[in-house]
Amino acid sequence: MRAGVSTAIGATKPMGTVLPAMSADLLRVENMRVVFPTAIGRSRTVLHGIDLSVKSGEILGLVGESGAGKTTLARSILGAPPVPGRIATGRVMFEGRDILTLPEKQLRSLRGRRLAMVVPNPRGELNPTIAIGDQIATMARVHLGLDRKGARARALEMLKAVQIPDPERRMKSYPHELSGGMAQRAVIAIALICDPAFVISDDATSGLDVTVQAQILDLLRKLAAEHGSAMLFITRDVGITAHFCDRVAVLYDGEIMEAASRNALFLSPAHPYTLLLLAAFSHNSALRRGWSMTPPAPAPAAVEACIYAGRCPLAQPLCRREKPPLAELMPGHVVRCHFPVRR
Amino acid sequence: MHIARYLLHRFAFILPQLLGIVLVSFLLVKSIPGDPAVLMLGPTATPDAIASLRAQMGLDQPLYMQFVLYVNHLLHGDLGTSWQTTRPVLDDLIQRFPATLELVTFSLILAIAVGMGLGVASALNPKGWVGRLADIYGLSAGAMPDFWFALVLIFVFYTLAHWAPAPLGRLDIEVIAPAPVTGFMTIDTLLGGDMHAFRSAVSHLILPVLTLGLINAGPIMKMTQSSMQKMLASDAGRYEMLCGIPQRLVSRHALRNALPSIVTIISVLYGYLIGGAVLVEIVFSWGGAGQYAVQGVLNSDIYPVLGFVLFSAVFSLIVYIVVDLIYVLIDPRISH
Repeated sequence: MRAGVSTAIGATKPMGTVLPAMSADLLRVENMRVVFPTAIGRSRTVLHGIDLSVKSGEILGLVGESGAGKTTLARSILGAPPVPGRIATGRVMFEGRDILTLPEKQLRSLRGRRLAMVVPNPRGELNPTIAIGDQIATMARVHLGLDRKGARARALEMLKAVQIPDPERRMKSYPHELSGGMAQRAVIAIALICDPAFVISDDATSGLDVTVQAQILDLLRKLAAEHGSAMLFITRDVGITAHFCDRVAVLYDGEIMEAASRNALFLSPAHPYTLLLLAAFSHNSALRRGWSMTPPAPAPAAVEACIYAGRCPLAQPLCRREKPPLAELMPGHVVRCHFPVRR
Repeated sequence: MHIARYLLHRFAFILPQLLGIVLVSFLLVKSIPGDPAVLMLGPTATPDAIASLRAQMGLDQPLYMQFVLYVNHLLHGDLGTSWQTTRPVLDDLIQRFPATLELVTFSLILAIAVGMGLGVASALNPKGWVGRLADIYGLSAGAMPDFWFALVLIFVFYTLAHWAPAPLGRLDIEVIAPAPVTGFMTIDTLLGGDMHAFRSAVSHLILPVLTLGLINAGPIMKMTQSSMQKMLASDAGRYEMLCGIPQRLVSRHALRNALPSIVTIISVLYGYLIGGAVLVEIVFSWGGAGQYAVQGVLNSDIYPVLGFVLFSAVFSLIVYIVVDLIYVLIDPRISH
């Protein structure tokens, strides 16, 4: 498996080996930098030049804690970063072109049709005054050009496919009448009704019971496979990615810290942050004791420092001086650390 | 099914609500200084004459007795008599209330058209020239007194341009008023088939309707603009955008979701304008209910005042019930 994740920032010698321009990539994000204006004339960089790629049919997991920039990345890939964010640099190569340079109208016809999104908290995201069936059917009418009747029939099919009980009746239900799990299924139906090539699932299972979570994940994986869709699966729960994803990338404060195939990441994690994440979710008490979270420290003073140096239990003077590049540790396994952990 | 029961429930509460309103306004009107007996008899009246008139009007009774008597008369359909017009208040109001209602209704229709149109356009394009126009409009509509705006319109369109008729009532003097059916001059002239009178009625409506409509479009525009912007920026609006729904459709959904707040402000304005249009009524000698009530207040003529309060209270309650029904229609989350 090839390395799909890299960054351009500070990468000197390992750069060439990390990110070969691959034509097999379905979607490739290159050097995505997103800034949010704060006070007058000032701004905060939320994504520091993200590179990642997803191949057809592949599921790439993206793990990160709250505030790491997961949602910003998800929305920026669709060309719509959260307000008032702005994409400073970056390309999103999809089906042979940079979709961020497309006119708004063409971009809109890609969204929902070729690039779909599964959102968290669907009861707040669905339109409260339109029946579920109509919201799903609208997608088919807008993107597939179906007539009213055809779109409704297709929507009903999708409700059946996402295994909502009593789909005929649920067509007429409003979002507030659905349970969280049912609303999540409805959102999946909206995302998949147009057979998108690429699905972004942004924390889609947060806020659901664990049993419902498992059902939704199964459903998402099954449908994505049936529709031949690749997926970027964003989550806070590193445990989910272990079961769900082909490859996993770890995001910390707007930078990719480590990315590898699922097995490589879980069996031989190399970045201290990844280890801390895994330890926090682990049942292995020795691992948990050995890698317990250190309290957050103030951000490192030097601009060129490793962004994780302040919280890293293994930080050395070099880490506070110089930012490590995202370097290839093994083929397909990249890590942004001066002193990767080897076990 | 539910709606019928809901309506029954609401109507059952109208009577106690009205009783409360009558009680409060009765006490307030009574607390205005001034003795109608003195005013009626004039400066040359003897104390004996005043005392006997007071006894005749029941003014020598204790306050609660006066109230009980008034309510008792109300229940028999008697709203008292105005000593100024020497006619039953009910007859006066039946004649004048529709005049106000016609003025206010047409004004509100204009206000809705202008306010919602400008509000939607500016919400979709807040930084463009429409948005700036809307900002200026909202400020000036809020800052301008309606009677002053009315005088400006009269000066420009009657005095200078001679496009509008003299601001003296609802019809030209030489036009014979149609037989009152609805009390709406426009409708009654049409029912009577008198196109000449209809044109006269419409031409007299134009300036006062422009005044009230353009002034009251301000709050409607502000509410439309802000609630629609809120809906466009809401999670649901953003999600539709991420799903690639065309902007036209996203905007339509946003307007639909903004409707409850817009309907609310319209209903509040409708109830308020029944009395709030009084200055414009006076400027145009409209002869409406508000003008009638103000004359009553100034001359200690309490029955017209109470009658007006009662009429507008009933009207407002009906408007609010209708609005609650509209809420049920436009928002599926309200189902009880």
